[in-house]
Amino acid sequence: MGLALSILRNDLATSARGDDALDSGAAIEAFLREVETRAYRIALLGVRDRDDALDIVQDAMIRLVQRYADRPSEQWPPLFYRILQNRIRDVQRRRTVRRRVLSFFGGTESEDAPDPLLAAPAPSGENPLEQLVAHDAMVALEQALLMLPPRQREAFTLRNFEGLDVAQTAEAMSCTEGSVKTHYSRAVHRLRELLGEHGEEHWNERAAD
Amino acid sequence: MSERQTERETDLERRAKRAFDDSVGALDAATRSRLTQARYRALQELAAGRRSAWLGWLRLPTSPLAPAGALAAVALAALLLVWRAELLPSEAILEGPPVADLDILLGDEDLEMLDEDLEFYAWLEEQPELTAPPAAGDGVG
Repeated sequence: MGLALSILRNDLATSARGDDALDSGAAIEAFLREVETRAYRIALLGVRDRDDALDIVQDAMIRLVQRYADRPSEQWPPLFYRILQNRIRDVQRRRTVRRRVLSFFGGTESEDAPDPLLAAPAPSGENPLEQLVAHDAMVALEQALLMLPPRQREAFTLRNFEGLDVAQTAEAMSCTEGSVKTHYSRAVHRLRELLGEHGEEHWNERAAD
Repeated sequence: MSERQTERETDLERRAKRAFDDSVGALDAATRSRLTQARYRALQELAAGRRSAWLGWLRLPTSPLAPAGALAAVALAALLLVWRAELLPSEAILEGPPVADLDILLGDEDLEMLDEDLEFYAWLEEQPELTAPPAAGDGVG
């Protein structure tokens, strides 16, 4: 995926060199098409609600094109993911406030709703067993990620899932490169502990590939 | 950090990325459709923004000329009013007095006399005996 992203960036850079607005529009469309599914999965990981995740991705797309479409295409990935992470945090904050209000009035949010992460469809592997293993590996990984502090989770998803380099991740997270390295290192260390110590069978099976 | 630990972390990173990529590849069609719609909506915003910018660009060159245009319009309106005002007396003359009085107005008579004796001339015109032809054989002449 990193190679694909690199190729995409090269393509985007080549396209953006043209002065024609049509080329720019085609370039940003290609960028959005490339990132939309992964952005959705990251948003889903952050908010654990399908509709909220879709709204977040759409908002991030719209804000990117409204504010930064004229920027060089190399700047789009960190800008897009900064918007995305900000929107995820907004939704999380609103939920926290809502929970406090409900708690104040003696109500509770329904906990019977199915977890979208657990209800996510199985990956399209070559056979059902591979699909099951891959699905369970991702569920285990997501459960472990949810146990990380938010900044560590952000650093891990941006660096590992999205393939952003340290500088881009720092820009997306609005922090220093040193902070990114620290968050990421701690995230990896903690994930190793969680996935190892808890003996996630499917994760380990997947790891043995 | 030991070399063995670094290798394990690297391996974990590789597996994590693979698991994530697999999960992305497994997204259902409905979700992909919603994402496509979201992308199209964003691109519509882009197109709308560019249309707006284009219209703004069209307005920009004319905006410095707008005061001059307004001034020209005001001057034209004033000119029309003045021209109209100059026309008004002639129109009043044409529409006001009867056409039968044109010969009086266009004649060489003293108009001040007409003003003073207007009532007299009106009375004189109403007298039938003065306007009727003289009776024959009345001994005059």
